[in-house]
Amino acid sequence: MPPSPLIPTPDTIPAPAWIFHILDVTLFLLHITVINVLVGGSLLFLYSRFMRRDQPNETLEPLAKKLPVTFALGINLGVAPLLFLQVIWGHLFYSSSILLGVFWILVIPLVILAYYGTYIHAKSAGNGLALFGIGMASLVLLYVGFIFVNNILLMLQPKEWTAYFGNRNGTILLLSDPTLIPRYLHYIVASVAIAGLFLSTVWTIRKGKQVQGADEQIGKGLKIFGYATVVQAAVGLWFLMALEREMMLQFMGGDPWATAFFGIGFLSGLGAIATAFGGKFRPTLIMTIITMVAMVITRDQLRAMYLSGSFDPSSLTVNPQYGVLVLFLVILVLGLASVVWMLRAGFRTDAGRAAS
Amino acid sequence: MNYPIWDLTTIGGGSLIALIAILHVYIAHLAVGGGLFLWLTDRTAVKRSDAQLTDYVRRHTWFFLLLTMVFGGVTGVGIWFIIALVQPAATSSLIHNFVFGWAIEWVFFVGEIVALLVYHYRFTVMTEKDRLRVAFLYFLFAWLSLVIINGILAFMLTPGAWLATGGFWDGFFNPTYFPSLVFRTSMAAVIAGLFGFVTALFIKDESFRARLMNYCARWLLYPLIGVVPSAVWYYYALSEEIRVRSFDLNPQTMPFVWIFGLATVALFVAGVILIRRSSLAVQRILTVIVVAIGLGWIGGFEYVREIARKPYIIGEYMYSTSITKDQVATLNREGVLKHARWSEVREVIAENRALAGRELFRLQCQSCHTINGIRNDIVPRIKGFTYLGLLAHLTGQGKIQTYMPPFMGTQEEKEALAFYMTTELLDIPATVEPPSSQVVPTTETIPPFDVKKSEYILLVWNDLGMHCMTDGDKWFSFLPPANTLEAQLIKRGDPPQLVTEGIELRYEVEPGHGNPSVHSEFWKFAEPLYGKKLEANMGLFGKGMQGTFDIDTERNSFIAPGIPVLPYADDGRYNPYPSFTVKAVEQATGRVLITTRVVAPVSTEIGCKNCHGGEWKANGTGLGDETAKNILAAHDRLSGTTLLESALEGKPQLCQSCHPDPVLNAAGDSTVVDFSTAMHGWHAAYMPLEGSASCDVCHPSAPKGNTRCLRDPHSALGLGCTDCHGTMQEDAVALLKPEQAKPSAQRMLRAIADAETESIEPRVAWLGQPDCLNCHVDFAKPEAGYKGFNQWTAGGADLYRNRTDDAGVRCPACHGSTHALYPAKNPAHRDRDNIQPLQYIDSRAPIGSNGTCAVCHGKKMTDAIHHPNMERPFRNAGLLK
Repeated sequence: MPPSPLIPTPDTIPAPAWIFHILDVTLFLLHITVINVLVGGSLLFLYSRFMRRDQPNETLEPLAKKLPVTFALGINLGVAPLLFLQVIWGHLFYSSSILLGVFWILVIPLVILAYYGTYIHAKSAGNGLALFGIGMASLVLLYVGFIFVNNILLMLQPKEWTAYFGNRNGTILLLSDPTLIPRYLHYIVASVAIAGLFLSTVWTIRKGKQVQGADEQIGKGLKIFGYATVVQAAVGLWFLMALEREMMLQFMGGDPWATAFFGIGFLSGLGAIATAFGGKFRPTLIMTIITMVAMVITRDQLRAMYLSGSFDPSSLTVNPQYGVLVLFLVILVLGLASVVWMLRAGFRTDAGRAAS
Repeated sequence: MNYPIWDLTTIGGGSLIALIAILHVYIAHLAVGGGLFLWLTDRTAVKRSDAQLTDYVRRHTWFFLLLTMVFGGVTGVGIWFIIALVQPAATSSLIHNFVFGWAIEWVFFVGEIVALLVYHYRFTVMTEKDRLRVAFLYFLFAWLSLVIINGILAFMLTPGAWLATGGFWDGFFNPTYFPSLVFRTSMAAVIAGLFGFVTALFIKDESFRARLMNYCARWLLYPLIGVVPSAVWYYYALSEEIRVRSFDLNPQTMPFVWIFGLATVALFVAGVILIRRSSLAVQRILTVIVVAIGLGWIGGFEYVREIARKPYIIGEYMYSTSITKDQVATLNREGVLKHARWSEVREVIAENRALAGRELFRLQCQSCHTINGIRNDIVPRIKGFTYLGLLAHLTGQGKIQTYMPPFMGTQEEKEALAFYMTTELLDIPATVEPPSSQVVPTTETIPPFDVKKSEYILLVWNDLGMHCMTDGDKWFSFLPPANTLEAQLIKRGDPPQLVTEGIELRYEVEPGHGNPSVHSEFWKFAEPLYGKKLEANMGLFGKGMQGTFDIDTERNSFIAPGIPVLPYADDGRYNPYPSFTVKAVEQATGRVLITTRVVAPVSTEIGCKNCHGGEWKANGTGLGDETAKNILAAHDRLSGTTLLESALEGKPQLCQSCHPDPVLNAAGDSTVVDFSTAMHGWHAAYMPLEGSASCDVCHPSAPKGNTRCLRDPHSALGLGCTDCHGTMQEDAVALLKPEQAKPSAQRMLRAIADAETESIEPRVAWLGQPDCLNCHVDFAKPEAGYKGFNQWTAGGADLYRNRTDDAGVRCPACHGSTHALYPAKNPAHRDRDNIQPLQYIDSRAPIGSNGTCAVCHGKKMTDAIHHPNMERPFRNAGLLK
C-alpha cells in the first residue's frame, strides 16, 4: 500500500535519528515508570479510600505525600521524551494530535486539577476531601492515559486520518480499533503493578531504617504487583492477539529481534510473578526492570511495524548541529551532578541529625 | 499546507494560545523572579538570624511551589500542546531548529524541580548553608530556563542572521535577544514582589506584615525602573520595518501598548502606596488589584510582541498561515489547494467554489480569524463589502498594510475564497453588479445661426469633459457641485476678433435643473465642508443657476466658475448632461448678439459601492449612506481618524482638509499625501480588475453605465482610459513619485511599484496630464506605436483646457471639452455634445475644420494660422455620420 498522501513532509533534523531515538526510548522508560507509580498509586488509594473510608491504608501511607512529587517528576520526565519524539515522529504526532485536539488540549487543565488533587489528598488524609482529591486525580489520570493511547494509535495509523474529512473539530477517537482497549489496559494494569512494586521498594528502604512491620508491608506491595502482573499477562496476550496478524507473527518468530525482546520481557515478567508471590523483593525488582526495558523496546519495535511503509526515521535529512549537541550533553552532566549534590545536601543533614 | 487544521472557528486557536500562554508566562516569570526573591530573602533571614523572616520564606515557598511547579509547569507543557495543535508547522520548525536548546532547557527544568522540591521538603532539616545554596541553584536554573526560552521567543520575532545561515546560534542570539532578556528579568523581579504581597497578607503580626509589605513593594518598584529603559531598548532593537508595520500601521497594537503602559504606571503607584504603612484592608484590596494588573501587564506586553510579529509566525520566514516565504511563488503559480495535503479540494471548478473557498479560508484566514467567534471575527470585518470588494481586499491584502500576509494562490483560488466569504459568510450573491444603465433620451434643438448674417459666434464649453461630484455631503465630500463654463465670443470678419469688452454673457440652466438645493444636502453641509455658508442654489464662487459670466481678460475669455448644477432633474430623472443657454448681450443696448447652448456634464455615478457595499443613493447613482459609512469606518480604522463619528455628529469633513489637492486649491496637511494620489495609490494595491475596466469601477466611464462620460472620437475609435493615462498601477506610481518624501507614499509605492514602473515619470494630480501632442505630434495622425501616457504636461497652463492656439483661440472652443471632443456621441442624444458645431458649421466636426473657415473669417482661408495641419479634411469622417 502506498503511504498516505496526508503524511506531512518532515523537517530536517539536527543530528542522526538514532541519537534522538535512544534519548526518546531511554527517557520514556523513566517517564513511564514514574507515571506508573503515580497512576497505580492513585488508583490504589482510590480503591482503598472507597472501600475503607476512615481507615488509612498503612501499606499505601508512605505514598500519599509522594504522589505530588511523583506528579512533578512524571511531568518533568515526560517533557524530554515528548520533545525527542517530536524530532523524529513530529509530523505524524502533530497530525494525530490535531485530529483529537479537543481531547488533547483538555489534558492540560485536567492535569492541573489532578495535580492539585494529589495535594489535596496528601494534605487531608483520612476524610472525604481526600477521597475527592484522589478521585479527581484518578479519573483525570485514567482519562489522560486513554487519550494518550488514542493519540499514539492514531499517530501510528495514517490510514485512519481520512476521518478528518468528516470531522475537523478535533474529536476523533479510534474507538473501533481492536487494540485500543488492550493497549490501554496494558498501561493501567502495569501502573497498578509498578505502584505495588514501588510500595515494596519504599517499605524496603523503611526496613533499612528499622521501621516496624515493614516486612509485612513489603509482602503486601509484592502481592499487589503479583496479582496485577498476572492480569497483565492476560491483557498482554489479548493485546498481542488484537494486533494485525502480520504484526503479531513478527513477535512470534517472524522477526528474531522482536521475538527476542518480547520473549525476554514476557518470561521475565512471569518470573517476577513467581518471585513476587514468593515474597522476594530484590529478584522481583530486577526482573521487573528487565521486563520494563524489554517491553519499552518491544513497544518501539511495534511502532516501527505500524509505520513500515509510511515512515522510516533513517529517511530524515540531517542538518547537523553537533556543537549544540555537545553543549547539551555537557549541561546534562552538570545538571545531573547538581541534582545529585542537591539530593545529598537535602538528605545528608537529615541523616546527620538522626545520628546526632 | 502540511498539516490538518483544527476547526476552532468560534474560539480561535490564537485565543487558546493566548489564554494558556499569558497565564503561563505570568507564573513562569514569577518562577524566575521568585527564585531570586526566595534566595535573597532567605539569605537576609539567615544573616540576621531572623526566625520570623525564615518562617515567612518557608511558607511562601509552599505557596510558590503550588503555583509555579503545578500551575506554571503544566501550563508550560500546555503552551507546547496548543502551539502544536494550532501552528504545527511553526512548532515543528522551532523544534527541529532548536531541539538542543529545548533539551538544555529541560535539564534546567529538572534542576529547577529538584531544587524546589528539596528546598521545600527539606527546608527545616537542611543546614542553612546548604539551603541557601539550593535556593541559589533554584534561582539559577529558573533564570537559565529564561535564558534559553528567551532566545527562541526572540528568534520568532527577529530571526536575524539565521535567515541567511540557518545556524543555531545566529537564530538564538538574535537582535532582540539581550533587550528581551533584560526586560523579562526585570519583569520577573517585579512579579516576585507582587506575589510576595500575597503571602505577606497572611502574616498575623501587624508590624512584621508591614515590614514585609514594604519589602515586597521595593521588589516591585526597583526592578520596575529597569523595565522602562529595557522596553525602550527592546523597541529600538526592532527593525524600522517592524516598528512601522506594527506600531504605526496595525491598529491592533496600540490598545495593548496602552494596557502595558497604564499597567506599568498603575503598578508603580500601587507600589508607592504599599511601601507605606497601611491597614490590612487596604493591603488586601491592593494586593488583589496588583496581582490582576500584573496579569494584564505581562499580557499586554506579550500581545504587543505577538502582534509585532505579524504577518509572520517566524519573522521573515514563515507566515502566520504556516506558509514559508519561499513557497509563495510556487503557490501563486500552481495554486495553494494543489499543495495543501489536507485539503478536500485540489482544484477550483465552478461546482466546488464554496467548498474550495472554505478550504482556502482554513488555510489562509483561520489561523487568525474566527467565524462569528470571539476574536478577530471575520464576519464584521468583511460585512458591507461586496464580492468585488472582497476580491479587492484579497488582491491588496498585505501589500500596504503589511501586518497581514498577502493572499497566496491563483486567481481562481482568490475568486473561490471571495465566493465563499460572500455566499456563505455574508449570505449575499457573489456577483459583480453591472452598473445601472438608465440613460434617458433627450431631444435636441439647434439654436439658429445664419452664416451670412450673424455677426458673432459664441463658443462655450465646460472646462472638464465630466465634472464628478461626491454627493454624500452628509458623510464627506471631495468634489462639490461646481461646473465651470468658459466661453469666447468672436466677432466675425476679416480678421475675426475675440471680443470681451462691452459684452455681457448670460447663462441659464435648462428647465427642471434650476433648483438643485432640493436634490442635495450640499447647501446644508457647505459650512462644515467648505467653510462657507451658501444661499440655496448658489455655488462656491458666487454663481447660481442663472447669471453672468466673469470676464477673463488675460485669456480673452469669459468664465462662470463653480455653478452648482446637479445631474438631478426636478422630474426625478438622472441627467448627467444638463444644458445651459448662453447669450451674448451688448451691454450698451441690451441687444442679444448670439445665443447658443452648452452641456455642463456632471456625474454622481461614483462607484464606491462596487466594493464598499451599500446601494446607490437613488436612481442608480450617488453615494449611498451605507457605502459612505463603510468608507469612513475603513479610513478611521486604517488611519486612526474619527471621521464617521464626526459625520454622525453632523460635522462631515472635506477630504482635502487633510489631503492637499490642486483642483480645490486645498493646502491640506503637508505631511499627508495629495488627495488624488491617496485615492489612486491606495486603491491601486487593491484593484482586482485590469485595464480601463479598473477605471470604470470608480469613475463614471463604464461603457454601459448611467453616465458614459467618454463620448469623444478616441472612445469611438476603441481607445480606453489606460491608453492615455496608463494603467491604474502606472498612474498611481506616477502620482506617488513626487510625494515620495511622505512615509505613506513610500508604503504605497513599495506595495505597487515593480521593475516595470521604474521608468514612469512623476506627475502632479490634475496638473500633469497626458498632452494631446504626445500622440498627435504636430497635430498630425498618431504614428504607429504611439503612447499617450508617461509624458505629462508641466503645469496647469499646459493643459488642453487652458491652452490657446496660435491665434489666441482656446483649444476647447473649437474642439469641445476633454473626453467630449467633436464629433462627440452623447448617450442621451447623439448630438447633445455637438450643439455648437451643428449650429455654426452644420457638421459635427470641430468648428472651423473641413474648410469651414468662413464661420469666423467669412471666407475660405489658405494658411493654417490656428495650428499646423488644420487644413486637411477631418480624418475620421465616418464619425461625422
